[in-house]
Amino acid sequence: MASKNDFQRIDEYTWELPKDYRGDMRVPVRLFVDEELFDAAFGDRSIEQLVNTATLPGIVKYAMALPDMHQGYGFPIGGVAGIDASSGVISPGGVGYDINCGVRLLASNLDWEEIEPFVDELMDALYQSCPSGLGGDGRVRVNKRELDNLLSDGASWALKQGLARQKDVEHTEEHGRLHGADPSKVSQRAKERGLSQVGSLGSGNHFLELDVVRAVYEPEAADAFGLREGQIVVQIHCGSRGFGHQVCDDYVKKLQSAVQKYDIRLPNRQLVCAPIDSPEGQAYYGAMACAVNYAFVNRQVLAMGAREAFERVLAGNVRDFDLRQIYDVAHNIAKFEDHQVNGHSARLCIHRKGATRCFPPGHEAVPADYRQVGQPVLVPGSMGTASYVLVGRQRAMELTFGSSCHGAGRTMSRTAARKKVWGHDLRDALEQEGIAVRASSMKGLAEEAPLAYKDVSHVVETVHGLGIAHKVARLEPLGVIKG
Amino acid sequence: MNDKRFDEVEHTADIAIRVWGHTLDELFANAAYGMACQLTDVEDVDPTEEMEIQLQAADVEMLLVDWLSELLYLGERENVVFVEFDISWVTSHSLRAIVRGGPIVEHQAHIKAVTFSELNLEWTADQYETNIVFDV
Repeated sequence: MASKNDFQRIDEYTWELPKDYRGDMRVPVRLFVDEELFDAAFGDRSIEQLVNTATLPGIVKYAMALPDMHQGYGFPIGGVAGIDASSGVISPGGVGYDINCGVRLLASNLDWEEIEPFVDELMDALYQSCPSGLGGDGRVRVNKRELDNLLSDGASWALKQGLARQKDVEHTEEHGRLHGADPSKVSQRAKERGLSQVGSLGSGNHFLELDVVRAVYEPEAADAFGLREGQIVVQIHCGSRGFGHQVCDDYVKKLQSAVQKYDIRLPNRQLVCAPIDSPEGQAYYGAMACAVNYAFVNRQVLAMGAREAFERVLAGNVRDFDLRQIYDVAHNIAKFEDHQVNGHSARLCIHRKGATRCFPPGHEAVPADYRQVGQPVLVPGSMGTASYVLVGRQRAMELTFGSSCHGAGRTMSRTAARKKVWGHDLRDALEQEGIAVRASSMKGLAEEAPLAYKDVSHVVETVHGLGIAHKVARLEPLGVIKG
Repeated sequence: MNDKRFDEVEHTADIAIRVWGHTLDELFANAAYGMACQLTDVEDVDPTEEMEIQLQAADVEMLLVDWLSELLYLGERENVVFVEFDISWVTSHSLRAIVRGGPIVEHQAHIKAVTFSELNLEWTADQYETNIVFDV
């Protein structure tokens, strides 16, 4: 286990564990954290997991973790790795089970005062329109043939079905469709699990939140995104449900034999991988991309549910109840991007496990109407605390392969949180603060208590200080639907 | 006499348990029981549904992950949790078992998947032991 003395401090927010720390590391490890978060990183096994990540064939520059880092499985959460697309590997352990877990932000044209009388009714309507909790069917049921189309085409499928608007698609990472999706590489079991769950939040840390924009820090970017102080917005946080879990499960098992076949030495079986250009690696990518597309559609269908709830409650009561999509970003994904490595452009397979893409102004992947300011980066806080909208900066391309933090990051186990907090007490405390809560499980609520997380503001100040993303706006919750 | 079948282990984001057994079938049954205890209060479950499970895998750790994954999948599909495990046959590569379960009265955790993280099946002085991390 590495100690603080094994690290070299590069600058205020950068700490490096040299490659010679362990014989099997191919690159150094870098932590992008301030001093306090650096100390906290030694509280679990996340550094050990990052050292393991540094052993993956083809990894370039360094294995890195962002300030919301904490222990996961395989990669740490908050971990990013850039792997050479021609000579390296792709790893399901670098993406996770909830493939393309991510966040979508919708903005209304309403102020707090206008919806205040309707908040309870609105929360009930959102709870009804956006199915949450364990199992549970989604808003849309598809047949097998439609599912294959959905998996191949992602948000384009939703657009054809009348489940999306053109602007929703434009304002989604990859336009809501990761190319290279191959439904023939997905197991029947995964497809079976996917048929009924399109448009469902699920459980765990997933949520739908009604927020108010409490502060604006960078007016130019806020203007471009259409955000202003006092405005009501909606955040949707969820992923690819049982479909994505099954895809990951299938390939973590399938690739175990590929590791032997290609003679890859791994310190942990959860880091299982295959060469990107091998049949096994291609098959995983094709299936993973299907799950990415499934998650984009899932959030899209939930967004339509949120719009329906707004209309049901607010039509006739307010002047304008529409919800525009600001952006949708993935948190768990592997994808091909071009980045500078040692002064040359290189095609890399970027693994982001609990990390967000964060592209700067001028980048062609940023939607045209945001390109002058940069890509919106959505950072949800823990339940009942603030969330942030950031904007990508050029420094992210230099330091983190265009990546930023994805949330607050846990500091306490679920069991410990349940021992400290009762779900009912937490709900009462949140409601006293003026936050309406709808939850399918009080135990689940307790596990997501804010005290189990790092302070999201601290995490955001760190990426702002590092210069990879700048703060644009702070959102504060008025109502939470907890899966 | 210590009749505990598993311990909960601290994990920042997910759920981890440590399980043991004097034999492989005891270890497999205890692991399944430990998992069921994360999903619900097993005392509330009336085991009225019975199913047979047969599995093959490349090694014993994969077999353990397959076993628990199969129970999760069947449980989700049938809307039950399995709480009784009669394992008639288990080697390093194959398993046959009859399992019984019933509907969940109150859900606790939702386990997305059984991971290989920290999985390291060891024979200690007189029993098999391993950690198992569940993604939640």
